[in-house]
Amino acid sequence: MTEGRTYESAVGRVEDIIRRLDSGDAGLRETLDLVREGRELVEYCATELDAVSQGLEELRLDELVARLETGNGGR
Amino acid sequence: MMDTAAAGHTAVPDSRLPGPYPVGSYAGQLKRRLQEFTRVQLEGEVFGCRLSRVRVYFELRDARGALPCSMWRDDFDRLGVTLSDGMRIVVGGGCDYYPGSSTSSPTFSFSVSELRVAGEGDLLVAVERLRRKLHAEGLFEPQKSLPRPRLPKTIGVVTGEQGKARDDVLAGLRRRGWAGRLIWAFVPVQDRHAAPRIAAALRELAATPEVEVVIVARGGGSLADLYAFCDEALCRTVALLRVPVISSVGHHTDRTLIDDVAAVCCSTPTHAAEAAVPIDCVAARVALHGSAVRLHDHSRRAILHRARALAQLSRAPAQHVARHRARLHQLLRELRATGRRRTAGGRSWADGQAAALERAATRGATRGPGHAKRGRDLERLRMALAAHDPARTMARGYALVQDRSGAPLGSVTAARAARDLTVRFHDGALMARVTAEPEAQDGSG
Repeated sequence: MTEGRTYESAVGRVEDIIRRLDSGDAGLRETLDLVREGRELVEYCATELDAVSQGLEELRLDELVARLETGNGGR
Repeated sequence: MMDTAAAGHTAVPDSRLPGPYPVGSYAGQLKRRLQEFTRVQLEGEVFGCRLSRVRVYFELRDARGALPCSMWRDDFDRLGVTLSDGMRIVVGGGCDYYPGSSTSSPTFSFSVSELRVAGEGDLLVAVERLRRKLHAEGLFEPQKSLPRPRLPKTIGVVTGEQGKARDDVLAGLRRRGWAGRLIWAFVPVQDRHAAPRIAAALRELAATPEVEVVIVARGGGSLADLYAFCDEALCRTVALLRVPVISSVGHHTDRTLIDDVAAVCCSTPTHAAEAAVPIDCVAARVALHGSAVRLHDHSRRAILHRARALAQLSRAPAQHVARHRARLHQLLRELRATGRRRTAGGRSWADGQAAALERAATRGATRGPGHAKRGRDLERLRMALAAHDPARTMARGYALVQDRSGAPLGSVTAARAARDLTVRFHDGALMARVTAEPEAQDGSG
């Protein structure tokens, strides 16, 4: 279930779930199952948003490359 | 002709050369000689263009040699061109020598009076030819079919270290509320030889697995400046890159080839940043909270609904008993109705039924505590029956009229037909015979 899950697919699935619940066609069992799935997806999306809210991290490619090269050379 | 040497100046000992002459007059001669050189057009590549208030200086170079050039600032401004390193130009002019003085340095330069940026027209033609070639090979498509993450965590940016593009990208990302990881790849973006450096940077970014999208940004410039971004090898690199490239290279009027092969092309670096992060992270968080609230409401409502349904089921036993009670009342009504219709001897049918019920009640009572309730119910029924016993009615002063066989008579017609009646009072009975009727009140006979 988590394979291939992306932020956009999770958001889309939450919207589908809410649409289904709003329709009033879901029975009690289905409602509770959908709510549980929806909550998990909301958690996941919140985590994804958190990952890009900690504060901008700026790196330089030339430094990254140099670090890799010295790492390799040091062996 | 040189001035004759002033007598008495010291020559270099043992020198065979004429002079010494004053340097200024030599310099003046040199200037005149150089200025006699034929004025020509020259072509080469620009290097090191420098603008002062009055003059413009640059070098014109090719593989075999170079010349320092200069031109009047006014003339240069009138041309309306920007000269950048590596540009091919054609200049027209002639040699000149500024002789200097005791307080200023001399300079040799090729004095330029006319200038043309070579092959800008050729450039456009070459770019167009290359564009058609790449398009025919289908290289405009692959980048555009790459999936673009709506919320990338790591973005690569290829741009010049100086310049506005860098700040514009940051501003665009800030507008989206995005604060993830940014990998800067600073490259020369202004000269013709930038293409291989830009391609190398793109390959290195693509080789970094976390990178999800790359922005190539540069402020505007003339097409000659942007020629690097029309480089064939660079464009092929972009077309086949693992990650989507968002290009904001030229002005919207100058479309470079990198704009055609990239996944998306934008008019400014700010727009490129917004294309790299298509969602507004702050708004997304608010919407997510709203979804969480709605999910919670649905689950709460569903549970309440279930609880209500269960409560309804739990009321059922009481309703069951109530139904049975109603049935017993119904039976009682039926019994009373039957009791009014039949009497036999001194004993009403109802009495017989009451006796039967009593027996049943007693039977029930001796069976044990489980049947005690049933016995009480039957006792209640018996008492109810007794209350409606005809004997009670007679005790109140009414008489029961029967025919000789004991069947009750309830009408004048029936009594007239029977003729011989038994009239039963609470304290006994009499025989009677119908003789005449009292005068009819309404005149009927």
